[in-house]
Amino acid sequence: MNSVERIVLMINQIAANLMHEADPAAQTAEHIRQFWGPRMRSQLLANGCEGLSPVAQDAVALLN
Amino acid sequence: MKTTFGTSAGTQDFDSIEDCDVILIIGANPTDGHPVFASRMKRRLRGQDGRPPARLIVIDPRRTDIVRSPRIEADYHLPLRPGTNVAVLTAMAHVIVTEGLADEAFIKARCDWDEYKDWAEFVSLPRNSPENLEPVTNVSAEDLRGAARLYATGGNGAIYYGLGVTEHSQGSSTVMTIANLAMATGNIGRRGVGVNPLRGQNNVQGACDMGSFPHELPGYRHISDSTARALFEADWGVTIDPEPGLRIPNMLDAAVDGVFKALYIQGEDILQSDPDTKHVSAGLAAMECVIVHDLFLNETANYAHIFFPGSTFLEKNGTFTNAERRIQPVRKVMAPLNGPKGQGLEDWEVTQRLAQAMGLDWNYTHPSQIMDEIARLTPSFAGVSYDRLDEMGSLQWPVNADAPDGSPIMHIDGFVRGKGKFVVTDYVPTDEKTGPRFPLLLTTGRILSQYNVGAQTRRTANSVWHTEDLLEIHPQDAEDRGLNSGDWVKLASRSGETTLRITVTDRVATGVVYTTFHHPSTQANVVTTDFSDWATNCPEYKVTAVQISASNGPTDWQEGYEALSKRSRRIADELPAE
Repeated sequence: MNSVERIVLMINQIAANLMHEADPAAQTAEHIRQFWGPRMRSQLLANGCEGLSPVAQDAVALLN
Repeated sequence: MKTTFGTSAGTQDFDSIEDCDVILIIGANPTDGHPVFASRMKRRLRGQDGRPPARLIVIDPRRTDIVRSPRIEADYHLPLRPGTNVAVLTAMAHVIVTEGLADEAFIKARCDWDEYKDWAEFVSLPRNSPENLEPVTNVSAEDLRGAARLYATGGNGAIYYGLGVTEHSQGSSTVMTIANLAMATGNIGRRGVGVNPLRGQNNVQGACDMGSFPHELPGYRHISDSTARALFEADWGVTIDPEPGLRIPNMLDAAVDGVFKALYIQGEDILQSDPDTKHVSAGLAAMECVIVHDLFLNETANYAHIFFPGSTFLEKNGTFTNAERRIQPVRKVMAPLNGPKGQGLEDWEVTQRLAQAMGLDWNYTHPSQIMDEIARLTPSFAGVSYDRLDEMGSLQWPVNADAPDGSPIMHIDGFVRGKGKFVVTDYVPTDEKTGPRFPLLLTTGRILSQYNVGAQTRRTANSVWHTEDLLEIHPQDAEDRGLNSGDWVKLASRSGETTLRITVTDRVATGVVYTTFHHPSTQANVVTTDFSDWATNCPEYKVTAVQISASNGPTDWQEGYEALSKRSRRIADELPAE
């Protein structure tokens, strides 16, 4: 998989594993702020919502 | 464990095993992977100390040697389907909570009660029962209930886990699930209990302690923590980027994209040890400067532009920190042989020379000065110095004003984070799926006589005992394919394919195959995928969908790699002086 495919997979994975948090989208966004470098975050935002789960889409909106 | 307890480290010392009544091993094969500690574990399991032997639960897809060995017989072996650790442990939690076996007095005193109630409600759901999950996990519900009851009621219960826990897409969730179980049963904060990682290498703990994660400073402080950053900036006289860096898979992605140019690799053979070898090789080949610093011309060195010869543990000073948080001195007994006589360099000196060549003003004259710097900047190491290590022999962190002689057992009177935190960890299946093309699940591991990728042990007489990587396959799966022990097979996944010989054994269940990854001629990681843990990106080595078929020769990849190895080890003719 290429780097964009990987980050789409990663954010969907993160969102799926944080589904039981009080605010899964906010927790997913916070996880990405803490552990992803600027280039990966930029790639994520540039990709838009393609391939993202609903929670991941909400997380991206919070990162914008 | 940082989330649930407040520290990223095992809770016990190794001596604690002597007070165990129930030992639960999950995703670890101590007989092969941790033989020194395994001998102490076996002693307790045999009752050689005059007390009744400890009871044993093993959760592992394979029937590892410790399940049944002389005078040891596990009470329960749960041969789960690879990738279902969270489901199995959640089912155990279901039994403990719904049968009233939780230690509510401990939980009320030591943990956040509201969070416990939320967790207990979740694990009690019918969908988390052993019976409901049996088709997912392949674990007998009756055995699972028995194991859960034994762990909860058998006295001091200790959990030991290995890379069979962490090397999954839900590795970090599994560690949190383990921590939940220990808190729910009051098995934390005294000898004989706890959560005990069996680390993959001798100094994993030490590397993590010192900020090897790309988002952390030493002492597990996040790089975005401006107070911690200011402390290091003042001491080092530099400005530190507050953004996290890249993990290895993301470095390789960025290299393939053309924006990650150089890498300094010290004591690691990522070409052989990391998953999806083709992707690793593509990333390394795309970089402009790969520096390998190692004892041997390892497989990664085939892609190196510069090679720095390393020094062995006998040739350098420093410390290794093991799985019980024990900071152990390493003392030089001979001059390094990696240079002309008297000019050899310890590893830290090589790194310092590189830093100086890049314009940095590093002028340490002994690693004790580096330890003094660590103690100055890292609270859990505040009381550590070479003098104290010489005086005590070794020290277990935290070593500070409250614990000047170190901390063998953690969380005795309270958790480091305050109240213990129960975290709901739902089972999320891996994205790696079996199907008609790849119907079997491959899991990988180690053998006693070889260490990891074998860079060191393959160069010794140990290879007499393990000359090649073999693929273990259940008799039924072998018969279905017309295969016998000793046959060459092609092992193929969505990532790649390799060839190796098989051994037919009922040590693995039907549908599961297993191999080691010690030999570059096999390169088992050509087959493993680039899926990884959702939180840490630890590669998912333990779950790969594969197919096996008869083979009569090496794959194209193996032939190409062998040619590359030969080319990269040629020595150029000496050029005449002009």
